[in-house]
Amino acid sequence: MAVDILKRWALFVVLCMVQVLFLNHIWLFDVATPLLYMLFVITFRRNTPKWAILLWSFCLGLTIDTFTNTPGLASGCLTLTGMMQPYLAEVFLPKDAPEDIEISMRTLGISKFATLSLILTGTYCLIFFALEAFSFYNLLYWVECSVFSTALTMALLLAVESVRSK
Amino acid sequence: MSNLLDFLKKYHHWFLFILLEVISGVMLFRYNSYQGSVWLSSANVVAAKVYEVKSSVGALLSMTRANEELTQRNINLERQVAQLRRLYNEAVKDTTAAQKAELSALEQYRLVPAKVVSNSVSRLNNLMTIDKGRADGVETDMGVVCGNGIVGVVYLTSDHYAVVIPALNATTSRISCAIRGRNYFGYLHWTGGDPMRAYVEDVPRHAQFRKGEWVVTSGYSSIFPPGIPVGKIEKVYNSTDGLSYRLQVHLSTDFSCLRDVAVITDKSFAERTRLMEAVRDSMRAKGGM
Repeated sequence: MAVDILKRWALFVVLCMVQVLFLNHIWLFDVATPLLYMLFVITFRRNTPKWAILLWSFCLGLTIDTFTNTPGLASGCLTLTGMMQPYLAEVFLPKDAPEDIEISMRTLGISKFATLSLILTGTYCLIFFALEAFSFYNLLYWVECSVFSTALTMALLLAVESVRSK
Repeated sequence: MSNLLDFLKKYHHWFLFILLEVISGVMLFRYNSYQGSVWLSSANVVAAKVYEVKSSVGALLSMTRANEELTQRNINLERQVAQLRRLYNEAVKDTTAAQKAELSALEQYRLVPAKVVSNSVSRLNNLMTIDKGRADGVETDMGVVCGNGIVGVVYLTSDHYAVVIPALNATTSRISCAIRGRNYFGYLHWTGGDPMRAYVEDVPRHAQFRKGEWVVTSGYSSIFPPGIPVGKIEKVYNSTDGLSYRLQVHLSTDFSCLRDVAVITDKSFAERTRLMEAVRDSMRAKGGM
């Protein structure tokens, strides 16, 4: 239990640092940015209390916001994603899966993990960019940012998970 | 109580979710200038809309008094316009004549505002009750008008109420009218049916007029001063005997939603009534001889 918490903290710090120091500077074709910190929310264990998921997600979002100077933006979106994660994970987990199974590519398989990640990441990006623009004046731009950021994030997520699962 | 606690225990993560989202929302609007400004302008729009609705409701509640004042003002203005129009057509040379005539016309009549408390438009012989009576200076055979035109004649009074025979009374109502600017006169008669249409009978066949011209009170009775609107000429028919015209008039007064009226109390009314009664008595006596 303590080890898991420490692992979570380590993942938290690493993802934040990577995002803040490297990934936030990537803005491909003015539309796409990778959001690797989504990995933190997606990979919560099955029996993690929902309140804990919410608090972790909120804190992660707040930390990202602190570095990007957008208080409330990422924290609101990540809290919503954290709320969705346990319910969606139940859909993709096998019925005979252990209670404390870890959500990863190794346990779910590539297709299920990719689908779960796609739904969570896609939802996050849609809401994030909608709140960032706070207007649907340029609808096409919002769609482009959401779609391409999701795609870039998915590529990175799957790459990292495939390395982790080995 | 235990059910409530069980409910809170079961769904506590939803409350936490809402709380965290609210905190995020507050931070978003407070510390991000763009989102904050959009929120502020949207909030201003919402607040302005709420205040606008509140103001409309307030204006509606004060509409009663505004309506009374406007009715009074409308009647005064109509009389002034009629007076001015007559003087203009006559081309009076005395420059002070218009002012004198207007003042004398205004001095002659006093208006007692009243509210209609009972009304009907669907019967052949409709009657109306107003909330002013003898105690307010209302007498029988006084004219009743509204902001849009004539209403009728007072038939019966008590101390605080009066019954009015409106123009929509087929048996009794006969109001002397004239075509504005032409002075050809007839009398207004309602035949039932549409409460917005009546007929001006006995208009001479040599009268010249057009459809759409206004019919106003002629002033030949001791009840209504001249120039009060009656309605607009819609159609022209021949009378049953073919000797005169029968004008179909679209009444300017909407009797179906009448609320604010005014009774014309004429200072010279008593004198004229006495004079008329004296003439009738004298003619009766001569006829008896």
